[in-house]
Amino acid sequence: MEIKYSELLKLNKELKEGNSSEEYNIKILSNIIVNQLTQIVEYPLQKIGVNAIASCGNFDNIVQDSIQFNKSNCVLIFWELCNIVDGFQYKSNLLTESEKFAIIEKTKSEIDYTLTNLNSTSIVVINYFSTTVFNHQFIGRNNYDVICRELNNYLESKKTQNVVLFDIDKIFAKISVSSSVDFRNYYSSKTLYTLDFFEAYSTMITPIITSVFGKSKKALIFDCDNTLWKGILGEDGESGIDMSGKSAKGVFFEEVQFMAKELASRGVIIGLNSKNNPEDVKKVINNHESMSLKESDIVIEKVNWNDKVSNLQDIAKELNIGLDSIVFIDDSDFEINLVKKYLQEVYTIKVPQNLYEYPAIFRKNIDLFYSILSTKDDVARVKSYKDQVVREQAKNSYGSINEYLESLDLEMIIYIDHKDLIERMAQLTQKTNQFNLTTKRYTFTQVEEFVKTNQYITFAFEVNDKFGRFGITGESFVSINDYEATIDTFLMSCRVLGRNIEFKFLEELVLYLETKGIKKIKSSYVKTQKNQQVEDFYERAGFTLTGDFGELKNYELIIKNQKKVAINYISVKYERKN
Amino acid sequence: MKEKIKEIMAAVFEINAADIKDSDDSTTIPNWDSLNQMNLIVALEEEFNVRFEDDEIVELTSLKAIENSLDSKTV
Repeated sequence: MEIKYSELLKLNKELKEGNSSEEYNIKILSNIIVNQLTQIVEYPLQKIGVNAIASCGNFDNIVQDSIQFNKSNCVLIFWELCNIVDGFQYKSNLLTESEKFAIIEKTKSEIDYTLTNLNSTSIVVINYFSTTVFNHQFIGRNNYDVICRELNNYLESKKTQNVVLFDIDKIFAKISVSSSVDFRNYYSSKTLYTLDFFEAYSTMITPIITSVFGKSKKALIFDCDNTLWKGILGEDGESGIDMSGKSAKGVFFEEVQFMAKELASRGVIIGLNSKNNPEDVKKVINNHESMSLKESDIVIEKVNWNDKVSNLQDIAKELNIGLDSIVFIDDSDFEINLVKKYLQEVYTIKVPQNLYEYPAIFRKNIDLFYSILSTKDDVARVKSYKDQVVREQAKNSYGSINEYLESLDLEMIIYIDHKDLIERMAQLTQKTNQFNLTTKRYTFTQVEEFVKTNQYITFAFEVNDKFGRFGITGESFVSINDYEATIDTFLMSCRVLGRNIEFKFLEELVLYLETKGIKKIKSSYVKTQKNQQVEDFYERAGFTLTGDFGELKNYELIIKNQKKVAINYISVKYERKN
Repeated sequence: MKEKIKEIMAAVFEINAADIKDSDDSTTIPNWDSLNQMNLIVALEEEFNVRFEDDEIVELTSLKAIENSLDSKTV
């Protein structure tokens, strides 16, 4: 292991004692003994402030445990093929057809029960069944492999939206089978995996969990010279730089550019932070025949002679994202160290000396952008971030901010209980940290329930302006009880901040609830490390504070007393579709 | 070496190293159950770069026994 296990236990204990955030419960269900995994899976999460508390279910009791522990934040399942029947790795090869059929059917129905029970758990990671531990020496396939494949196909066909199927064969490939397993206590006490295996597993699944905390990286910022292409533009000229797949040195850069382009298509913000003449770089991007990244892939360009630290700060500000959402790549030790020194939150990657290692290093970091709920909206988001940069620049040419807002032709479309938006609504609860009044995280299934039931009304809004579309960027879930409504969730993406959209949305929400016979609305603010900016939101919106408990503030609004905010530069439309 | 063993025992059993007596064994330390026994073994193996065989492991249920076994392996 990278650090010794006993050292990890010690550090983990200290981290846990110092961590006062809400507990994040991870339950590990298994049909072998994996108890060393608990602390190894907690540690990388504790290190970044997530108060992960992991524990194991009962040995070989996956189905029953899936009922008992479905309220956990995350469930990890080690369902080992070798132990679905005791000694299955050797017994499977002498089964009669009817015995084989019976075991497969039994396991399938156990899979069904388990998945149904865990339907509302926000993350479930299940390992694919694998025969690698016992069969990797064989040339051919045997019954054990055939059954394995059939069960995996079944898992895939039954996988629900909250389930991630994890391929543990990748760990065997990475650290070898012999480093992954130890048979010493397998036959006596059903332990199979080594500390190294658990460490590799934990490293690989951590991004799945961190993505829920909005801790996935959002932006990938490149230096240009010797990072996007071989050579120095200012010295070698446009014809002297190289990123062609057909040349010996250019090919590495082409591969990296292709991967970056793919990330852009998945919603990652690509940007530049380079000391160069901006016109020269523009020319390369627009005209150089070997450039794979195009103007349309690049959201933000800080090509100038400022220091790179200030440029990164400007990038974070203009895109309205945290510095901890940024990954920065550069070939210079000086620049990398400068960024590390002044902006510790920024994750840095250095282009390696041996260029043939560059694509592999890049690939190793791609899962930093892993996002469990990658939806169609991500693609539109790149366009939206680009528009944001244009808007920021337009701001400067107007006298007052109101004048500017009026000129934007803002339009809000409010969707009520809209079935097609369930996935996006769940994603917003998972990802939004700053403008989020209660920061409740919901799964697809939970939001689906809100949409269906009469006890809740879900509002989601889309915003457009003359520069482009933002997509669905805010929402509220309201529970209804006779004449009283309670705002359970109220959140908005920071991409649309600064336009008073939040006030307009709340105003519309109140108007709508009034038409449903509601007289009084209750709401609350729950403090987190990231949502201070909305601490006084309800006060500013005209709600009355009814209880202040420090971390929690309660409010109410008697609708007939409400003064209208009257924001007249945002037009509103409603859509309801079931 | 005894101090290092105590440190590892402390981490695994979540107790203070200073509270561990030379005479302690699995009957005197409450958290020393069969699961933690395995955790202790892998932690010791990693720390001292040794390997215990399965027959030995069942015997390693006191500080004294661990110390003796490590003594014989690390010379």
